[in-house]
Amino acid sequence: MQRIINALIQYRNPILYFFLMGCSILFLTKKSKYHKTQLEEYGMYVTKELYDINHKLSNYFKLKKKNEELLKENKKLRELYLKSKSLALYPNAFAKKKHFPFKLKEANVIKNSFLNQRNNLIIDIGTSDGIKSDMGVISRNGVVGIINSVSKNYSSVISILNQDIKINVRLKKSNALGSMFWRGLNPLEFKIDDVVDNVSFKKGDTIITGGMSSYFPYGIPLGEIVDFESNSQNGYYSIDARLFEDPSLVNYVYVLSNEDREEILKLQENFQNE
Amino acid sequence: MNRKSLILLISFFSLLFFQIFVFNNMNIFGFVNPMIYIVFLVIYNFDSDQTLFILICFLLGFSTDFFSQSGGAHTIATLTMSFLRPILIRNSYGVTSEIPISFHNDTRRINKYTFLSLLFILHHLIYFSIVFFDLSAVHLILKYTFLTFMFSLTLSIMVLNLYRKPNDS
Repeated sequence: MQRIINALIQYRNPILYFFLMGCSILFLTKKSKYHKTQLEEYGMYVTKELYDINHKLSNYFKLKKKNEELLKENKKLRELYLKSKSLALYPNAFAKKKHFPFKLKEANVIKNSFLNQRNNLIIDIGTSDGIKSDMGVISRNGVVGIINSVSKNYSSVISILNQDIKINVRLKKSNALGSMFWRGLNPLEFKIDDVVDNVSFKKGDTIITGGMSSYFPYGIPLGEIVDFESNSQNGYYSIDARLFEDPSLVNYVYVLSNEDREEILKLQENFQNE
Repeated sequence: MNRKSLILLISFFSLLFFQIFVFNNMNIFGFVNPMIYIVFLVIYNFDSDQTLFILICFLLGFSTDFFSQSGGAHTIATLTMSFLRPILIRNSYGVTSEIPISFHNDTRRINKYTFLSLLFILHHLIYFSIVFFDLSAVHLILKYTFLTFMFSLTLSIMVLNLYRKPNDS
């Protein structure tokens, strides 16, 4: 207490000065409307700046949570988008008795290789999230690969940058089916085979997934035609394609689970047995 | 009550009176009203207690504001100058050299006028900044400050001569 009083006595002049200053400012604002509004304006400016800083800081620290939220939201939107794209194959997808077998699950890419001839990825969800092998993996703007093996919390994905994988595709305009595979060098450059000679298309046409496999639904845009030549000997086109998104750069992916896969496989088995 | 306090008391009221009734109505060039009451901050002894000085100066500014219907600008400017006066004294008379007891007790002329100019120009700057209270009116503030400062300084030097003892230099 003694110390406080001592400090008060020691600093009595500044204290008195600021006290009287406060009184004068009060007096000023009481007497002059102009000064009052002006002071309020400055006060507003200062509080605005402070709140701005606070807002920016808290936003920065919330980024991770926001990211997760956005990923979840994106998952929902992507599911709807896939449904709408696949209307040609699943006309009842939006109807009341809807049947759209594909469900999405979001995941982060942990490891992504692209330098080998047979590349693979690792994502951070596994059996505990309901992931099984042979599920399709897509990204924001195209196909990433197919799940190869699953552990409890992680899964490895065969990247489409793998010369063993062939993806069933369609030319969007002519609906002609083909199969696409990597050429082995540039992660964007792909080749499409097995497109029959009698369809017509031109450079720049969009390539979409074909919907003829149980991995991917119909209608995910993949890339565009860069160049093509007709191979008159076997009656098929040989097409050079370019992807929209570099699969070696993806960070977030969505795993597609096909509820009807078992059913389809069983039918195929029957077919083979006969 | 000794003689010095009596002189200060009389000065307080006479300066206030002349400020309100004479100098506030001069309107040189239409807007310049010299401020004479700051002379009180000069004649008050340099070595006296600052707490009382701040209170008296607040009262002086407040009365000037009260009688000239001018918000609180005189109060704030005078109060601030009374608070800053020791710093100004130290800087105009030299930090290391001996500081005189009062303004008229010293013969160093340049230091005297430095102190006067600093006191007046700072006071006027604060006063006009508060009167305009707008960042976009900087040129107006500077113009008013400079012109009023010239007249205030000249008139104050005249007034200060009245306080000089006959045997002073």
